Amino acid sequence: MTVSSESIRSKLRAHILESFLFTDDDDALADGDSFLEKGIVDSTGIMEVILFIEEEFGFTVADDEMIPDNLDSVDALVAFVSRKRAT
Amino acid sequence: MTRLLLERFVDAARRVPDRVAIAPRDGAVTYGELLRMSGAAASRIPALAPAGARLALLSENSPTYAAALYGAWGAGQAVVGLNPILKTEELERILRHADARTLAVDPAHPEAEALTERVGDGVRVVSLDELVRPPAGGGGGALPVLDDLHTLSALPAPSALPTPSADAVAAIVYTSGTTGHPKGVTLSHGNLAANTASIQASLPIEETDRALCVLPFQYSYGASVLHTHLTLGATLLLERSLMYPHQVLERATGERITSFAGVPSTFYLLLDRTDLSSFDLGALRYLTQAGGRMDPSRIAALRALLPEAAFYVMYGQTEASARLACLPAEELDRRPGSAGRAIPGVELEIRDEGGDPLPPGGQGEVYARGENVMVGYWADPEESSKVLTGGWLRTGDLGRMDADGYLFLEGRAREMIKSGAYRIAPAEIEEVIRRVEGVFDVAVVGADDPVLGEAIHAHVVARDPGPPTRRAIMSACKEHLARYKLPKHIHFREELPRTASGKVRKHLL
Repeated sequence: MTVSSESIRSKLRAHILESFLFTDDDDALADGDSFLEKGIVDSTGIMEVILFIEEEFGFTVADDEMIPDNLDSVDALVAFVSRKRAT
Repeated sequence: MTRLLLERFVDAARRVPDRVAIAPRDGAVTYGELLRMSGAAASRIPALAPAGARLALLSENSPTYAAALYGAWGAGQAVVGLNPILKTEELERILRHADARTLAVDPAHPEAEALTERVGDGVRVVSLDELVRPPAGGGGGALPVLDDLHTLSALPAPSALPTPSADAVAAIVYTSGTTGHPKGVTLSHGNLAANTASIQASLPIEETDRALCVLPFQYSYGASVLHTHLTLGATLLLERSLMYPHQVLERATGERITSFAGVPSTFYLLLDRTDLSSFDLGALRYLTQAGGRMDPSRIAALRALLPEAAFYVMYGQTEASARLACLPAEELDRRPGSAGRAIPGVELEIRDEGGDPLPPGGQGEVYARGENVMVGYWADPEESSKVLTGGWLRTGDLGRMDADGYLFLEGRAREMIKSGAYRIAPAEIEEVIRRVEGVFDVAVVGADDPVLGEAIHAHVVARDPGPPTRRAIMSACKEHLARYKLPKHIHFREELPRTASGKVRKHLL
């Protein structure tokens, strides 16, 4: 993948680790971990994730884009952000 | 006498065996299937612990949870529902306090293995799925005893579940307390039966309803939704979370739900993050709201978007099984901000600090009386006697009542935080933060929050030198506390305001 995609991943991982897992231990989060299933983020926390990607990557997340396919793991977020930035 | 829940469930299951009872996103279970699962559990549970013991259940809302609950009741045992988002340490504390002999756990639960290791020999851990699995052939005979998550032997299900006595303990519901004092609200079969019937008399629940449930069965509101529907033969559709509200609304539309129960933050999330008017919720007949005061302007906004759905405000607490009061939908415009009037079988009074009843309009503490009021706090006569006095329950809520008996709540007498409908003891969080290296002192308070009602704020005084980092404090909280107990804000301060006797003046924080 492109450097840009890796940079997105790195920013997202750092944010989730710091804001939801309160650690810099990289092993605490796998890129495929479901935020919902693993209890990493809850229904109010997901809004913080959305605010972060909106501010960091400069686009708006529409209501109907707030679905697990777009938001529920680091992998899903990277794919979603990459798609949105490409449009 | 009010018929008990188990008997009513069995009757409903026999009347509509082919109707869906509980439908998660996958694996809907009919009433007939749920009855067989309950029977299988009832036949296996006596071999795990004697009648009168406590069976702990650790699982998300699911048909298996409900089947194990009814199975335990059929076997004469009380159920301790464990909130699946609690951490191992919190779960162990509850298991020990309740002296639960058996823990039935969803093997997929992230804490299952760690918890099994920690509880050791004193608690038998079984797979919830296996506990409720109906026998394949009808044979059996081997005793289903095990100490791990392996398969239980199949035993034939009994043809009927026996009815427990009204005085027997049905459930112990743990609410937040300090480490030394977990508070287990102990509810009898009579308590639950009375409150379920009262709620059913207050709401337009019908046996053909299809209710969407996002509330955990382990707590009183979710449990009341379960009981009020499963005793009638109605259908419950389960959603795990409102994390993705759009997805929940799509299901609500597709399944043509007829009712929905939420707490204020549930409805705030729907209002703020979805375009409710773009969903066809035409089959939705009514909504219920409990778990704290909802802003009347947000209720009005919701009603404007869902004009066909009646909106019922309810009030209660775990110590009252679930509900004490209900504001009929037609009274909403006449008495905005009211928590309703006493539901059938419940008496409410406002009393002054000396415990004397006040006339209409007087402000004081809400007292309640009725068959739904708990037996007491489990193994804690001292705490029980503080709230159960002369046949009445002291709710700890402050309010006033108008001349027609409608209640208006105005805060709490006791120091508890109400965040996202959870009632949280600040001391539980303070204990964890106080153990963090570099922390000298801490006070935890609730402060207004537009979504959660109250958000948790921790005020920390650092030891000098070596102040703790926000990350160290949050990391400790995350390790020891369920997510809903995590502080939203940490404030570092030079000192905490205290009274002459040393008590923190939290209202100044």
